[in-house]
Amino acid sequence: MQHIRDGIMVVNTETIAGKVITQNLGVVGGSTVRAKNVGRDITQALRNIMGGELVKYTELLEESRSEAIGRMVADAAARGANAIVNVRFATSAVTSGAAELFAYGTAVKVE
Amino acid sequence: MDYRSNRVRTLTIALLSVLAFSVVVSAQGVVEEPQKEDPPLVLFVVGCCVLPWILFALAWVVFGAAYPFMFLFGALFSGRNLERRVNAVVLREQASIEHFGKDPLSTLKGSHIVGGVNNSGLVYSSIVYAPSHWMLLIVWFNNLIGGRINILQKVIAAARSEAKQLLRERAMEEGWDEVLNVRIDTAEMTPASAKNGPRAVEIFAYGTGVKYG
Repeated sequence: MQHIRDGIMVVNTETIAGKVITQNLGVVGGSTVRAKNVGRDITQALRNIMGGELVKYTELLEESRSEAIGRMVADAAARGANAIVNVRFATSAVTSGAAELFAYGTAVKVE
Repeated sequence: MDYRSNRVRTLTIALLSVLAFSVVVSAQGVVEEPQKEDPPLVLFVVGCCVLPWILFALAWVVFGAAYPFMFLFGALFSGRNLERRVNAVVLREQASIEHFGKDPLSTLKGSHIVGGVNNSGLVYSSIVYAPSHWMLLIVWFNNLIGGRINILQKVIAAARSEAKQLLRERAMEEGWDEVLNVRIDTAEMTPASAKNGPRAVEIFAYGTGVKYG
């Protein structure tokens, strides 16, 4: 399942219900900067004139976000954690061509 | 204004690239006369450099030609499409509320769950939504007068309700009973300071899915 990657539970609540946090391993994070490609840019610019959902950009951001989460999980795994709690996301548009997606949370050991 | 200057830039690029291409072609013609077997490598390199630019310029020319039609299309149909989309989301919402027996999304932290929780994990969904350029024109006029701008509020509200609905559907797919601590994030695709680029807003919703024990 998607929510357990490499045996690490990822949640955005402060505690994991039914489990006890035994050790705090610090803040972990992962980020990606994604640029769109030219072909996509042109088709999406045409869509943009008409308004509505920009499907390709939705897909792009979804992909990059799961990559950011993957990096965060790898960071947590390197510290020997088995869960990440209180996960937050931040997005910033660096220029008009690229977006930075950032995921961060607290790596913990739970039992 | 942006698009007009774009078109000028496009035309100059197209002209320059055509010029460069013709120079390359004529040079090839001159060089090929004395030694037939082996055209110099430089020509291949230059040709390869020029070709993408020509394609790019062509794409911009097509874009410039298509722009007025698309704008008109947006002016005529964007409002109706938005309404249709909102109605579809309302129907999907009803279906998923029927499936869960209540609205599964909440900003609660889980202390209200009596029976205990078996399993939990992250659920997230996002959508990129754009107002049409016709709407942006209306907004520009509105900005002159001041006051509230209903038309953009409608677009963003539609995007938000759709993002929430996607979150419900994803929770349904992954088999959660409820989604706790839901947060909704809004980000611009293009920074406000940038002149060009897609004018779109990204709505991102995430929460913790739980399964009752």
